[in-house]
Amino acid sequence: MSYDLFLGCVIPARLPFLEASSRKIFEKLGIKLNDVDGFSCCPDPTGIELIDHKTWLALGARNLSLSNNNGGIISFCSGCVETLKGVNYYINKDPEVKNDVNKILKSVGKKYEGKTEVKHFAQVLYENLDKVRENVEHPLIGFKVAVHYGCHYLRPSEIINWDDPFEPTTIDEIVRAIGADSIDYELKMECCGNPLDKSDKEISLQMIDNKFKSIQKSGANCVSLVCPACYQQFDFNQRELSKGKENGYNFPVFYLSELVALAFGFKPEELGLNFHRVRPKELLEGF
Amino acid sequence: MSVINFEFRNEVLKHNASLSYCYQCSTCSGGCPVALITQGRYNPRKIIEEAILGLQDKLIEKQDPNPWLCSTCQTCVELCPQKVEITEIFILIKNKCFNTGNVPEAFISQGRAVLENGVALPYSKAIITRREKLGLPSIKTAPVDEIKKILKETKFENKIPKEGA
Repeated sequence: MSYDLFLGCVIPARLPFLEASSRKIFEKLGIKLNDVDGFSCCPDPTGIELIDHKTWLALGARNLSLSNNNGGIISFCSGCVETLKGVNYYINKDPEVKNDVNKILKSVGKKYEGKTEVKHFAQVLYENLDKVRENVEHPLIGFKVAVHYGCHYLRPSEIINWDDPFEPTTIDEIVRAIGADSIDYELKMECCGNPLDKSDKEISLQMIDNKFKSIQKSGANCVSLVCPACYQQFDFNQRELSKGKENGYNFPVFYLSELVALAFGFKPEELGLNFHRVRPKELLEGF
Repeated sequence: MSVINFEFRNEVLKHNASLSYCYQCSTCSGGCPVALITQGRYNPRKIIEEAILGLQDKLIEKQDPNPWLCSTCQTCVELCPQKVEITEIFILIKNKCFNTGNVPEAFISQGRAVLENGVALPYSKAIITRREKLGLPSIKTAPVDEIKKILKETKFENKIPKEGA
């Protein structure tokens, strides 16, 4: 089994440690990820799409046209998955859109038929859950995980077409398969607020603060998520929210791939867990 | 006082006819996390109402409510009992805001980064070193001239003001 790997911008150029754990777990599962030269920004469904839909469609279709793999594209980023699935959706829904996009692509000698399948890495993990279980060497006993699905992993469901948009289960099931507990919390399905960083930092911080308050009440001792925008909001802004406070937050934020890698027996050092702002020291004793 | 702009109204309706299914039940605002936090200062129902009425000045120029406060969580569109394609309508409205310069600076800088580098975040020297230490391969991103050609075709290039302009 193999996929073409679409890295996007944020993970490889800002959070490469998330890429490290993700590559390692798929290698261990025997799922080949091909590196493809020439991808651009997906482009950002919370940025470029909002300012110029035509540009978003054209660049997205160009990216999709670069994959010749039968398995299609895999991405470690929920934003990239939303964009690439969204471009497929609009192109296949309306022949006029497809025609317009291909007129633009013709200027660079490319063409896109709308056939490249796109999957989120968590979807591929879920589809190989038995293999994931077989590879667990170090079950994550004592990890009480507050799972954050993030909006773009799920919605709009007509485009993403994967887990339930409001009552999802896939990531909880993966977390349980590697020996950890998934802890329910009141604001589990709320948006982390990251996209509002561009327009209103105060509201953005209020949204993530509310999530942490809810996680604090739940008894969870760490967070897990599957989107680099959510990761930055939870890890980077947690310190900002806790500055100067006596009872600041202290929740290590793990990418789902990092938890799976730890359970597969990889060492914290080789995963680059030291690059996290909130250091997961206590939970990693014995790893 | 707001003035109805019929041309604008027809344009939005033509772009997405589902706008006319809205019966203003406010389910979208009830489920909106930003409406909750801002105590209704941001209100998706009102944005749809202004689109139906064709109040271009309120929506695009005065930005009341401000469409850039949408967090793109896509909850409203899932909940809408009338299946109004809120996402697509909001994208059209925000695209129009951008075209008239009513857009937060961060969106323009992202657009400029993609225009100049093909990616939103170019690889810094420090990141390239860090990637090597983590055992990650070097990545060839899109040829910039090819991306520029596409952005010329979509007329995006002209819409991004030169830095410092």
